[in-house]
Amino acid sequence: MVLEQLNILLADDDKDDRFFFKMALDALTIPTQFTAVEDGEKLMEYLAGNAHQLPDVLFLDLNMPRKNGFECLSEIKRNADLKLLPVIIFSTSIEQEVVNRLYINGAQYFMRKPAEFSQLKNIIRHTVQLIMQGNISQPAKENFVLTIQNSLAI
Amino acid sequence: MIAIKKSDEDELTVAYKEIAIQKEENEKLLAALKIAKNELAFQIEEKGKRAEELSIANKELVFQNDEKEKRAAELTIANKELAFQNNEKEKRAAELTIANKELAFQNDEKEKRAAELTIANKELAFQNEEKEKRAAELGIANKELAFQNEEKEKRAAELIIANKELLAFTYISSHDLQEPLRKIQTFVTILLENENENLSESGKNNFQRMQLAAGRMQQLIDDLLAFSRISTTELTLEKTDLNKIIEEVKTELRDTIQEKQATIEATELCPANIIVFQFRQLMYNLISNALKFSNPAIPAHIIVKSRIVKVSKLNNENLSPEKNYCYITVKDNGIGFEPHFSERIFEVFQKLHGKDEYAGTGIGLAIVKKIAENHNGTITATSELNKGAQFDIYIPA
Repeated sequence: MVLEQLNILLADDDKDDRFFFKMALDALTIPTQFTAVEDGEKLMEYLAGNAHQLPDVLFLDLNMPRKNGFECLSEIKRNADLKLLPVIIFSTSIEQEVVNRLYINGAQYFMRKPAEFSQLKNIIRHTVQLIMQGNISQPAKENFVLTIQNSLAI
Repeated sequence: MIAIKKSDEDELTVAYKEIAIQKEENEKLLAALKIAKNELAFQIEEKGKRAEELSIANKELVFQNDEKEKRAAELTIANKELAFQNNEKEKRAAELTIANKELAFQNDEKEKRAAELTIANKELAFQNEEKEKRAAELGIANKELAFQNEEKEKRAAELIIANKELLAFTYISSHDLQEPLRKIQTFVTILLENENENLSESGKNNFQRMQLAAGRMQQLIDDLLAFSRISTTELTLEKTDLNKIIEEVKTELRDTIQEKQATIEATELCPANIIVFQFRQLMYNLISNALKFSNPAIPAHIIVKSRIVKVSKLNNENLSPEKNYCYITVKDNGIGFEPHFSERIFEVFQKLHGKDEYAGTGIGLAIVKKIAENHNGTITATSELNKGAQFDIYIPA
C-alpha cells in the first residue's frame, strides 16, 4: 500500500523541537498532515478521540512531563485499537539498554534527534518514506536504530 | 627186789632224798622254765612287735626313699633350670654391663648437652625477653595501624560513595546538557541554511566556528556519558566470541577503514568472558584510535590476537597467578608515541596532540582502561615514536 498523504503525529514537550520538526517537514515537500501534542497525557487523549482515524505514524519523545514516552508506548501496544500504529522514538540521547527496552516494547524505529538541521530533514524524509512505502512492521533488531548514515543511503 | 638190805635202804633214802632234791630242782627248773618260757613268749611277742614295727618302719623308709628319689629327680630338673637361669643371668649381666657403659657414655654426653642447653636457654630467655619487648611495641604499632586502617576504610567507603555520586552527576548533567547544545547546533544550521544570503562572509565564518565548537562540546558530552556509563551499569559477563565483536567494530568503522586503506587482521581469537557492550566499546576505541593515529605514509595494518595464558609468567602485580587470563593484543603500525607517555594516555582528558591535528576529547583510552578494570583486568601500552603501538589486555578467562 502506498499512501498519497501522510498523517503525522508528534508528541514532544519541547517547543523548539516541535518547531524544528515542523520546519523540516515543511521543507521536505512531501504531502503530509501534521499534528503535535505537548505531553504523554495529551497524546493518549488525542489517540482515544481519534481511534477511527488514527495518524499513519507517531513520532514520540521519551522525556515528557506527566506521562513519558515509555508509558505511552506500552499503553499504545497494549491497546487493541492502537497497537498497529507505528511508533518512532525520537530522543535526544541514545543508550543501548533504552534502545533494547523500546525494541522489546514494540517501537517501530529509534532515531536520535540530530544536531544539524540538514540531518534532521534527511532522517525525517527517510523515515516518512519508509512509512509511505508500507514498512509498518517492526524491522530486525539491527535495523531498529535509524542513523544519519542509513538515511543517506536511501 | 624184795630183800632190801639196810645199805640199800640208806641208799634208797639217799636216792629218795636225791630224787626229792631233784624233784625240787626240777620244780625249780620248771618254774624257771616257765618263767623263761614266759620270758621267751614275752620276748617273742616283743620281737613280733618289733618286727612289725620294723616292717612299718621299713615301709616308711621305702616310701621316704621313693619320695627322696622323686625330690632328687625334681631337684635335678630344678638344678638344670637354675643352671640355665644362671647362664641367662650371666648373659644379661654382661649385656647390662655393656648397656651400663653405653648409658654412662650417654649420660656424659647428656650432661655436656645439658650444659650447652643451659647456655642456649639463657640466650633464648634473653631473646625471648627482647621479643616480648618488640611484641609489645608491635602491639602498640598494630593498634595504631588498625586505627589508621579503619580510618582509611571509612575514607575509602566515603570515596566510593562520592565517586558514585560524581559519576551519577556526570551522567545526569551530561545527559541534560545535550538537549540545549543540540538546539544551539540546530539553530546555527538553520541560520546558515535559511539566512545564507543575509549573512556577511565573516558572519557565516563565525557561525561555522560556533558550529565546530558546539560539535566538539557534543563529542565531549558523548564521551563523558560513555565514561560514566561504564561505572554505573550492571555487569553481566558472557562467554563471547571475540571475532564477532571485531566484526561488529569493523562494520561500524567501515568508512574510516576504507579511507585509511587499513587492513585489520584478527585471525587468532579465543572466546572471552566479557560484558559484551563494554568490550565492543573497548575494541572500538582501540581500533578507531589505531586508525586515527595511523602513519599517513603507509597503509594502516592492525593486528588483533588473543589467547589463554597463565599469569604467573607475566609478573603483573594486579593479576592473580592462579587464574587463567585471556590475553588480548591490539597492535598497529601507526605513529606511536614516546614510551614515557605509556601511562598518561589512559588518563581522562589527556591528549598527546593538539585538537587541530587529531580530533578527540582524550576520553577514549580512559574508557578503555575503565572497561578493562571493570573486567578485573589490566591494560598497558607500549610504543616508540613512529614505530606503532601495542596494547596488552588481560582479563580473567
